[in-house]
Amino acid sequence: MRAPEFSSNTLNAISKLLAKNPEYYTIWNYRRRVLQALFNREGAPPANLIASDLQFLVPLMVQYPKCYWIWNYRMWLLDQVKTHLELDQAVQFWKEEVGLVGKMLTRDERNFHGWDYRRHVILQLEELQQVSMVESEFEYTTKMIRKALQNFSALHYRSKLIPRLLSERNASNTDRRKLFDQELDMMQEALIDPFNQSAWFYHQYLMSTLDCAYPAADLIITDLLDSDRQRYLEQEIERIKEILEDYDDCKWIYQSLLQYHADFAAYVSTPKDEVGQWLSELQRLDPMRSKRWAHVQTILKL
Amino acid sequence: MSLASGPGLGGSSPDMLWADKHVEYIVSLDKRDDEYEYWLTEHLRLNGVFWGLHALHILGHPTALPRDDLIRFTMSCWDASSGGFGAAPDHDPHMLYTCSAVQILVMVDGVSVLDEPAEPGSSETKRMRVAHFISSLQDRETGTFHGDKYGEPDTRFLYNALNSLSLLGKLNLVDVPLAVKYIDSCSNADGGYGTVPGAESHSGQIFVCLAALSIAGVLDQRLKDDSKWADRLGGWLSERQISTGKGYGGLNGRPEKEEDVCYAWWVGTSLVMLQRSHWIDRPALRKFILSCQDGEHGGISDRPGHAVDVFHTHFGIVGLSLLEWSENKDGEASEPLGLEEVDPVYCMPRSITKALSRTG
Ligand SMILES: [Zn+2]
Repeated sequence: MRAPEFSSNTLNAISKLLAKNPEYYTIWNYRRRVLQALFNREGAPPANLIASDLQFLVPLMVQYPKCYWIWNYRMWLLDQVKTHLELDQAVQFWKEEVGLVGKMLTRDERNFHGWDYRRHVILQLEELQQVSMVESEFEYTTKMIRKALQNFSALHYRSKLIPRLLSERNASNTDRRKLFDQELDMMQEALIDPFNQSAWFYHQYLMSTLDCAYPAADLIITDLLDSDRQRYLEQEIERIKEILEDYDDCKWIYQSLLQYHADFAAYVSTPKDEVGQWLSELQRLDPMRSKRWAHVQTILKL
Repeated sequence: MSLASGPGLGGSSPDMLWADKHVEYIVSLDKRDDEYEYWLTEHLRLNGVFWGLHALHILGHPTALPRDDLIRFTMSCWDASSGGFGAAPDHDPHMLYTCSAVQILVMVDGVSVLDEPAEPGSSETKRMRVAHFISSLQDRETGTFHGDKYGEPDTRFLYNALNSLSLLGKLNLVDVPLAVKYIDSCSNADGGYGTVPGAESHSGQIFVCLAALSIAGVLDQRLKDDSKWADRLGGWLSERQISTGKGYGGLNGRPEKEEDVCYAWWVGTSLVMLQRSHWIDRPALRKFILSCQDGEHGGISDRPGHAVDVFHTHFGIVGLSLLEWSENKDGEASEPLGLEEVDPVYCMPRSITKALSRTG
């Protein structure tokens, strides 16, 4: 597209086009150029232009929550805040975004763009203000998980926050163990519904941090002894077996038992025929992935 | 080519492939430029041409669209001053369409048009200018790529860049080891990858990251060195297959989401690259895709009962090719559909990428 002739009328015409077809990325670029031209003119304070443009986007985001170009344009607009406004005012703009993205995630708690956007906004705010927001973000994930224990997006974000949270808290070994225990307890609560796939993935993440090969920088407990590993594994395997008593038709239970057996055979020993029984139950319940279970059988030498 | 959806709905019997109907459907898309939806989908035009043309190749009708028209249209989307391609003539250049343009030119054996001078009298070729457009979008600090000069980075664009630059023989213009390092920083505990560091794993993003690692030449070694990782990621991907309800056999993109034909590609090809495509029920997936066909007018939809479109027609057909050829390799051939083999890394006909690797 050619160099724009800019006026607020142009902006209105563009708005109409985009409201009909927000995927029209070239028009979004055109809008950027018009706005940049308007920024450099007298009489139109950039703050007002940006504020009204952000406003214009809100109904579009609600109507087309998965349109990449709208999110992308919003990020660009907020970047302009950093170049054209004073720091205080810029921070104010970014802070409003936390509220907006919170609302978007309440409407659709798994919206991919929404979670990515949230992390982007937080990162920018942390940089602008030179403060960490890891505590409040951690709390936010708690809130979202409490609302829906199968919200994998929130659980994922939480797993990324934990190492930072602990290091910024200067957490002692005791604190770290306490947090690990709390996370395990929370998952036990989630696994009251053992068909909750997200809870199993998060449980697997927690257990994987017990592995000797887990990256040191991301560890939850940093002074793990083999005796700790053994204690945790015994405890969790015991808890999973308890779930098994009420649900013998849930493949995730057998899958996790086999996974932990494969990863941590050095710390807990299970009789071979019990492991074999888990596997044959799994094969019975999940014939779609039979070749995968055959592979597990080979690895476990069953 | 129109990307307008319909007119038909997917919902055919799951036993046969309506290959000729799909060819007719794709060729007819060219003639629907009087519809309102034609304008609504203009932002995808060059991608649409790629999807249609590639599907035709895999269906065994590589010349069903006229070669000269394809080259002319592709070049009419080129922006000489930046070197990138837009979605349609006069649209801004972007990585997504630049990659599609290069793939189209390679598929019609027309990439030599890029060896002309960028402008009359210029000593720089069009090929060089396209390659510079792509390489200029690499962030030299982190290794990732932007889609254009305005947008945020995404591992999707990183893949587009490595794919098209390697097709142009210009991979040396970018910092490939740094790009690999960036991909690693996007990895998660489940073995998968997100759009940026910290983002949740998603099948589409897993495909682009594995394929980029493959083009960078590091995937094979990793599979050898770290079978635990391949097992973990292969396991996560295999859980995308739906085992209950009406979506039976279909694949989703993330835990607890709905099935969709296009994931036959994102998930399927990732499993092929990990050498674990037999970890899902391939005949069930094949049935699911076939049940999304419109057996009357051609075309494939995202799930049964929905309107067909060229995007899902393409990913349905390349998904079927992937299934057929991976089953063949494992000696588990079901009834052959007669599709050409697709290259899981480049998303192009294998016969063409094979010929390129011989000459390149
Ligand atoms: Zn889809």
